[in-house]
Amino acid sequence: MKRYLVGLVMGLAVAFAFTPMIGAGQTPAPAPYAAPRTPDGHPDLQGIWQAVNTAAEDLEAHNGRLGVPAGPGVVEGGVIPYKPEALAKKKENFEKRDTLDPERQCLLPGVPRITYEPGPFQIVQQGDKVLMMYEYRNAIRYIYMNGNPHPKGPIDWWMGDSRGRWEGDTLVVDVVHFNDQTWFDRSGNFHSEDLHVVERYTPTSAHHMQYEATIEDAKTFTRPWKISMPLYRRQEKDVELLEYACPAYLLEREWANPTSTYFK
Amino acid sequence: MGHRIVAAVTTLIVMLALWAGLPVRVSGQAFWPKSTPKIPMSPTWVAQKAKLPPFTPPRTPDGVPNFQGIWDGAGGDGAADIEDHEWLDATTPSQETFISDPADGKIPYTPWAMAKHQEIRKGLGRGWPGEVGPRTHGAPRSLCLNTIPRINVDGNQEIIQRPGYVIMISSEVGNFHRIIPTDGRPPVGPNAKFWFGSSRGHWEGDTLVVEIANLNGRGWFDTAGNFFTENTKMVERWRLADADTIDYSVTIEDPTIYTRPWTMNFPKRRQGTDTRRLRAAAFAAVSAEERARAGFVDNAPARPRTVDPYAKEVWEEPCFEGNHENTITQRESGFKWYPGVTPPK
Repeated sequence: MKRYLVGLVMGLAVAFAFTPMIGAGQTPAPAPYAAPRTPDGHPDLQGIWQAVNTAAEDLEAHNGRLGVPAGPGVVEGGVIPYKPEALAKKKENFEKRDTLDPERQCLLPGVPRITYEPGPFQIVQQGDKVLMMYEYRNAIRYIYMNGNPHPKGPIDWWMGDSRGRWEGDTLVVDVVHFNDQTWFDRSGNFHSEDLHVVERYTPTSAHHMQYEATIEDAKTFTRPWKISMPLYRRQEKDVELLEYACPAYLLEREWANPTSTYFK
Repeated sequence: MGHRIVAAVTTLIVMLALWAGLPVRVSGQAFWPKSTPKIPMSPTWVAQKAKLPPFTPPRTPDGVPNFQGIWDGAGGDGAADIEDHEWLDATTPSQETFISDPADGKIPYTPWAMAKHQEIRKGLGRGWPGEVGPRTHGAPRSLCLNTIPRINVDGNQEIIQRPGYVIMISSEVGNFHRIIPTDGRPPVGPNAKFWFGSSRGHWEGDTLVVEIANLNGRGWFDTAGNFFTENTKMVERWRLADADTIDYSVTIEDPTIYTRPWTMNFPKRRQGTDTRRLRAAAFAAVSAEERARAGFVDNAPARPRTVDPYAKEVWEEPCFEGNHENTITQRESGFKWYPGVTPPK
């Protein structure tokens, strides 16, 4: 009882002493979230995640159109810094997006696009690598954490070569060795084979991660630029990755179409 | 571009391989000389495993048998034809059946389903004995459309276990995942149909038992037109026969096209432990240089062969990307889309 009173008095005194340090209208910054650890001591990012935004349609701010909700965009600063000739190509891509978008041909979407495609993805951490599994086409990425540098190029992969490291609780992934055939969204935002992506996955609560991707490609952009968005842990009981077998749906539709332009 | 060159180089390599009397892989495809002795499959494995001593598998931290690691497919012709057959062509060597039950090693089709299978088989356009008439359907796998159980036969798999999940990653016939929940969750609703179906696993002693439903019936067991339907249920059994061998079986049940349930059974060896396969791979490595000199461009970039720090890494080997010309050729040569079969009521 006595100890309780002493504690209460001391607590009040401490609270009083610190009160002036918090200015009017200001709230103290919440303690940074400390992610739980895997058995080998790394931040545990495992689970099923999904972006909830319109980045798959357009990374930049956009109005609504038939079948497409409006969105505020996910590009820091609002606009992608294209070189003039690249901006002209982006506009042409947009006009012809229904035929030119590689997603319309069910091709692997590259990085970062696969992260914010509709549908969830699942992270599993292994000793020497982080495995990312996507509902889209049952696609996978192995992010190697084994200390090997990027293999010597040139290599043109659809999903690039991913090498990861931990910075505090953040998984930082360096991705190079892309081809020039993937887009960033359905609106024609594109890149060259010189694309270099640095992704950052930072857990911010038990149910959220902040995702950032810095995009560098001197052939296409005047400077590096960044997208950012929260990723949400799927909450449904028994949630699992299902199947989006895009090539099968596409081939089935086009096979019997005598005027198909796909088979050329 | 380069299509004819590739075809010419492929022919050259096949001829060299036939001359050398050894199998050789070109861009993921194995080629076998006519003199290849019959490749062992289910009957040989059933006899072998009967003589194996009992094996107590190692355990994962959560106490279930530990299957983790990289496992080869069944080898041989990669399920060109799952029934016993003699040498049919350079990609379809003489091979035992995959089927352990019934004892004759044949799929117990109903008369209707057998007629349907024969119709497809006669129109494969492969130059196999008995082919007549117009082309019917190309194998779905030749369009890079994968299905269970063929993904367990064709190409390797990394198995990863986590509490509540078994994950299988294929990386030789495209890079893709299959996730098997083992937490007792209910199946997906019956109207959803998938190429891979819906898998639900549980443990029976040291065996991982996987019940597969929700199949869309669009895939084949092989390239020879052996089919199932969207009514088909499969039960897989994964058991470690020794430290480096999975005794894999899958029982297939579908009263609409089979007269009784039937079972495929074959071993899957831990990658790098099958000496026959290692010899074949060594030969293929030499001919990779041959084909590089001949200007053949493989999908996968060349890797340094000595002290390769990347030797254990899995690199992107897409299937659908790069298969477009083959798809066009198939369609132009008269193959129809395979929509699955509809058995009579």
